[in-house]
Amino acid sequence: MKLYVKIALGFVVFVALAGILGALYLFNLKHSDMAKAKPDFIVTATVLQKAFEDNETAASKLYINKILEVSGKIASVKPAENKFISISLVTGNDLSSVICTCPAISDPSMLSAGEEITLRGECSGFLMDVLLNNCALIQNKKK
Amino acid sequence: MKRLSLLIFLLAIAITVNAQKFMTKNGFIGFFSHTAMEDIKGDNNQVAAVLDISTGDMVFQALIKSFHFDRALMEEHFNENYMESDKFPKSTFKGKITNLSSVNFSKNGTYDVTVEGDLMIHDVTNKISTKGTLEVAPEGINANAKFNIIPEDFKIIIPGVVREKINKNLEVTVIMKYAPLAGK
Repeated sequence: MKLYVKIALGFVVFVALAGILGALYLFNLKHSDMAKAKPDFIVTATVLQKAFEDNETAASKLYINKILEVSGKIASVKPAENKFISISLVTGNDLSSVICTCPAISDPSMLSAGEEITLRGECSGFLMDVLLNNCALIQNKKK
Repeated sequence: MKRLSLLIFLLAIAITVNAQKFMTKNGFIGFFSHTAMEDIKGDNNQVAAVLDISTGDMVFQALIKSFHFDRALMEEHFNENYMESDKFPKSTFKGKITNLSSVNFSKNGTYDVTVEGDLMIHDVTNKISTKGTLEVAPEGINANAKFNIIPEDFKIIIPGVVREKINKNLEVTVIMKYAPLAGK
């Protein structure tokens, strides 16, 4: 076999392998780690909820699919299915909060209502509350 | 003006509602597809749901973007290619328990129920009927159901290459833990 054929064959095999590995990598890619992700917006729960209450269309355009770092006071912590934890934050409206769903926090018992907390997650939109997914706990201060 | 109408709305709820309505904001709806090639699971822990025990009315609301998958790419395909969640962000169910008289809400226990209603996904509404259970518990009411849906019934187009990886029938699981809605 001529040298250039060998080189060409080697190249083809290399590209194919790289392609397969790349596809496998993309296919198995997990969600970005919110604890390390750079936030697109840093807001308080009150400001975020009010933005959706005042103008849902504008707020949706601005915030949905973005990474938000939200701080506020914990209204409640509830366990959800599959070991998820649902944390709702106090806002200016008693009936509408910011609900942050976290894929398992090592020790949820350390979180309690009234504490100031900062979470980072992806904004899914607004139902009765502003919903954040895939949240990570960034900071919680005991009062 | 918006605030005023919201206030009136809330007052109206406060007047009409007493211990009749139960609610949750972190209900669970998940779907599961099994094929020889792959298991696919999407979970949503942010379902808002109201149950009226005086009429048997049930309402569920969920954001499509709240469905969570293990793999990021799957979630992206689900949202962008199949559900078109930017165009159709919400899914709702409005229905009724048809055998309400067989549930004794003053006695703790688990009761079999049948629920019928309109399920809207991808802006297409279909009638569904399913069996489930209601558990009357000291802290509230727990509702459980499992049923199957066919994506094509909701005009969700799955291309041929991928079709073999997704079961024709998706199994939907509903788990709600309702708490009494306090009249404010």
